[in-house]
Parts: sequence; C-alpha cells; structure tokens
Amino acid sequence: MSVKVNLHRSLASLTNGQTVVEVNGDTVGQCLEQLVSRFPRLKKRLFEKDDTLSRILEIYINGESAYPDELATAVKDGDELHTVVLIFGG
Amino acid sequence: MLSQEELERYSRQILINGFGEEGQTRLKKAKVFIAGAGGLGSVTATYLAAAGVGIIRVVDHDKVELSNLNRQILHRDEDIGKKKVDSAAKRLKGINPEVKIEAVAEKMSEANISKLVAGFDLIVDAMDNLPTRYLLNKTAIEKNIPFFHGAVNGFEGRAMTVIPGQTACLRCVYRGAVVEGSFPVVGVTPGVIGCIQATEVIKYLVGTGQLLGNRLLVYDGLNIKFTEFKVKRDPDCEHCGGLKDKS
Repeated sequence: MSVKVNLHRSLASLTNGQTVVEVNGDTVGQCLEQLVSRFPRLKKRLFEKDDTLSRILEIYINGESAYPDELATAVKDGDELHTVVLIFGG
Repeated sequence: MLSQEELERYSRQILINGFGEEGQTRLKKAKVFIAGAGGLGSVTATYLAAAGVGIIRVVDHDKVELSNLNRQILHRDEDIGKKKVDSAAKRLKGINPEVKIEAVAEKMSEANISKLVAGFDLIVDAMDNLPTRYLLNKTAIEKNIPFFHGAVNGFEGRAMTVIPGQTACLRCVYRGAVVEGSFPVVGVTPGVIGCIQATEVIKYLVGTGQLLGNRLLVYDGLNIKFTEFKVKRDPDCEHCGGLKDKS
C-alpha cells in the first residue's frame, strides 16, 4: 500500500528536509517503521523507548484522528498520514 | 438593555447578520475567564473587551519581563517588573471602559481553580504550559463550562473548542507527557490564534456560526496554511470519558 506521510516541520531536520515521504505499509505502524528504516534518526521522535507511539505525536489518516490504536490502524493505497507534534506555548 | 453609547460603540458588529442587538446583549451579560495574560491572553482579552463582553477575569501570577514584549501586546516597556494582570487591566479598560475587568494575580492550581472559575460562562485557555492546560480542561469538564483552547510554537498554532459532553476535550487529543521549558514564538502567531479563540468565544456567546468542536485547527504561518483535523471523544478519556454524550 502506497501511503503519503506528511511529517511535522520539526522532524524535517531528520529527513534531509523532506516533509512529505511516500512509504509502503498495511498499518500506520508499518508505515512509520519504514520511515525509520529510511531515516533512522526519526526513531526517537516517533516512538517511545518501548516502541509505542511517541506520547507527543498525533496521527491523522486522511484528516481524521487515528487514536487510540494508531499503530495498528490499517491504511490503504493512496491514504495520507499527518504526523502532528504537540505544542503547548501561549 | 443597551445604552445609546453602547449601541453606537458596537454599531458595526450589531449590523452583522445573526448578531444584532440580541447578540450584543448576550455579550454584555457574559462572564469570560481568561487563563493567562501572555501572548494568547493579550489578544483574546483585547478583542473580547473591544467586542463588549460584560465581565472578563484575567488570571496570571507572572510579572512582565522584557522577553515577553515581542508578543504580549497588552504590556509595555514601562510595565516590566509589574504584575501582568495589572497592566492587562489598565490597557483593557482603556480599550473599553464599559467592560468590567477582574485582575487576579494568582497561580492556578488544584486548590483554587474551582473557586476561580465559579460563576463564569466559559474558559479561554491562553496558558503556556501543559499541566495548567490539563487542569483547566478537567475543571471545565467537571463544571460543564465550554473551553476554548489555543497553543503556539514558532510560526505554528492550533485551536479547538470543547463543549463538555458534546465534543472531544483537550485530553482526548493531547495525551502527551508534560513538556516543560521555554518555547520559541514570534508575536504574530499568538496574534492569529488568539483572534481565532476570541472569534470562537464571540460566536458561542452570540449563538452564530459553527464552532471548532471535534475539529483541531492547525495553522502553519510559514506557508500561511490552515489544516483541519477531525477529532473525536475518547470513551476512555480520563477527563471526559465518564460524561454522558449530549451531542
């Protein structure tokens, strides 16, 4: 399944400046793992130490929240993922 | 009942279809709680005062620092070292003397938050840290008070409106660990997001338009792009999971 991943701007320094990356996977987790295989420095930003999704990351599939089982959520060909990083400033 | 002076002061917004004198009267009767007199709080308070909200309570325990002045537009160079709520109240009264401003220089905590928000119609989340945002969200849910969220970082911002029991709350969307520390920001970003929060508050009070409920609006100032994400209530949310669905 070809999926377009839109990366949050703060992650671009870890992907040679790319903010949109095409990956293949049947689930969100597989897509993110493939991202990490291409850009290993992303791992710490996408996953916690126990390989669960980062607590400060939100995943949206075609504009809809993938919570609560983000990594296990199925994706299909042509889907678009957004990775959004929590912000707190005021 | 609006006075002649009020009818003139607010004449341009009273002209808006769906606003009218009735909407203006609703604003006049409203009591708005603004948590934070920083970047977001400065902007929301300014526009809500100008719009004629009856009572605005601004709560912030900080004092004005030089590094605040790139974005916290209620404060001036001469206010450095003074309580933020005092300079905020002074400027807001200057913008609209018809509005009652309550300046509260207290740190919001589990111990005092219920008392601070008691009697207020809605809460504006203009904080700069997650623990207080979570505390406000939880309190809003418990007390059935609409909650207007905004956050900024750099050129990026986001906004969402929470109607307890009807829409996703902050905790349904933010499950993150508490992040501490200074954040980068340019003043125009809270300008944009604060205006969106104030717009939501005015719409809610007047009873017009469609609120940002179950919609997380993300603003990318570097590309001037708004993206909207659909969010939903989490049945297991530790703040609102126990609330009966009222939608």
